[in-house]
Amino acid sequence: MGMTHANAPDMVVDLAPRNPRELVLRNPVIPASGCFGYGQEFAGSVDVQRLGAFVSKGITPKSRSGNPMPRITETPAGMLNAIGLQNPGISGFIRKYPPIWLSWDVPAIVNISAKSVEDFAMMARKLDDVPGVAAIEVNISCPNISAGGFCFGWDAAMSADVTQKVRAATTLPMIVKLSPGALDIVEIAQAVEAEGADAVSLINTLVGMEIDIQRQRPVLANVTGGLSGPAVRPVALRMVYQVAGSVDIPVIGMGGIATVADALQFFMAGASAIQVGTAAFAQPRVLMDLIDGIERWLAARGHSSLGGIVGVANERYQLRRQTPRAEDLLTMESEFTR
Amino acid sequence: MDVMAKTESTFSTREFMGEIIRIEPVMGDAILTTFTAPKKAVAEARPGQFVQILSREPTAYDPLLRRPYSVYRADQKAQTLTVLVRAYGRGSAWLMRQQEGVSLDVMGPLGAPFTVRPKTERLLTVAGGVGAAPLRMLAEAAIRDGKQVTYLMGANDADGLLPARELPDEVEYVVATMDGSAGHTGFVTDIIPAYLQWADQVFSCGPEPMFRTLRAVIHQHRMGDRPDVQMAVERAMPCGIGACLGCVVETRRGMRTACVEGPVFEMDEMLWG
Repeated sequence: MGMTHANAPDMVVDLAPRNPRELVLRNPVIPASGCFGYGQEFAGSVDVQRLGAFVSKGITPKSRSGNPMPRITETPAGMLNAIGLQNPGISGFIRKYPPIWLSWDVPAIVNISAKSVEDFAMMARKLDDVPGVAAIEVNISCPNISAGGFCFGWDAAMSADVTQKVRAATTLPMIVKLSPGALDIVEIAQAVEAEGADAVSLINTLVGMEIDIQRQRPVLANVTGGLSGPAVRPVALRMVYQVAGSVDIPVIGMGGIATVADALQFFMAGASAIQVGTAAFAQPRVLMDLIDGIERWLAARGHSSLGGIVGVANERYQLRRQTPRAEDLLTMESEFTR
Repeated sequence: MDVMAKTESTFSTREFMGEIIRIEPVMGDAILTTFTAPKKAVAEARPGQFVQILSREPTAYDPLLRRPYSVYRADQKAQTLTVLVRAYGRGSAWLMRQQEGVSLDVMGPLGAPFTVRPKTERLLTVAGGVGAAPLRMLAEAAIRDGKQVTYLMGANDADGLLPARELPDEVEYVVATMDGSAGHTGFVTDIIPAYLQWADQVFSCGPEPMFRTLRAVIHQHRMGDRPDVQMAVERAMPCGIGACLGCVVETRRGMRTACVEGPVFEMDEMLWG
């Protein structure tokens, strides 16, 4: 285990400070949705119980067999995936996995995806009192059927609507996972915060594609896929920086994090915790290395807690958190919002 | 960042560093790479299983994902694993450039091995290209268990064939080459019918077109559902542990991961698009 001596830095993170049901993590390292299966897949590769939390694969209202192959292709310092949310559906999922997690010592966050607001709410309701489920992460990077397939997460009103209905359906800590495809991700973050999201996580993958020049057709059967890995990191960091300076709820940063130095950049931008995906495919032990390495870095520089570095490189983040009076906040809004 | 701290928990991981101790040219432009491995990894490796090898410098980002290699040999005495490598892409090209003394970042052994039924006495193996690797290990294990093995292999020319010295003496080794430089002239699948009545089980590993021909030949010649056929498929495997669902194979029981539920599948279970 990392450090056990008395002056080990405090790595504990509260990701739902507004919610009585709490989402307190022993450290800020979380495997990202889609990249960690349902937890047990990694049991032979990492000590799952040491993680801050983990996020399940995306669950949908009905079971899905996913997209045809090929589903994944490697790209420069990254990968494109179009798995197509292969999963057993909410009911099959609830029967199978939460009972396993019940005996685990690590919070399990369930990622939910749907094509209508009603389906999102239905899944949230079903998960509300399921033992073994610590929180939900709402994937709003899905097409909204009633909006002609336009992605929920690209529109503030639709994002707010999903958040409001899910909030009404469950008291579980709710993280809303933001799409980098939004024209203004800050606007989306503020909209979901206003409707009761306990935290936001970002970024989801960026939509990309590759063409096989021999066969003269797209590599992925789905044509497009989500880009992840180190290639997206600067874009992700910029969005985390913007969002963390514009909301008061915790921000969970992700996108290409592979090393302790990468993680520190996200904390300094204002992320309270991080998610790790693609890097853990290649090297599962990166998850453990991050926990140990962040702790050692903090200790080596005399930080008593992780909180001491969150947002230090983000002036707007600091202004928001250090100004206690409402009138000052109002002044800030007029000065700093677009 | 480097990691100095060792965890104190009893947790053991499938990831290990293996030092390359031997590189031998084989099958024309391929090599056999032998590297050290933990006792547990060597002891547990079964024919048909694979290892995932990180095929880049630890500080580099390309190629990002590990590459799967079937276990060619697990040497209990020397505590080593051997894989058969041919340069198809950036990952295998990188691995081919690594010299003795280099430490490889390896994960494994992974996946579901071939299943030889207790009653099986006669095994027919059908190899194409680097598909020779898992079948060599299978042949060795089967001979050790007192079974009979006929090992069929096809290549473009004699140079591309697995050398007979790599197989136990007891194995009947029959080859086919496209240019006729060794054995039968033509495809390996041409010579299968002669052995189908004899075999209790068939095991195959090779390129997709070979699988398709093999399936057609077997459907045409076999009696009922005997012999049954197991195929080790090749897929790009981003995680290798069933988490990403990027390497799935469509089967009668739905989508199955090639990395955990495979790479070995019953031929009759697989759906062919």
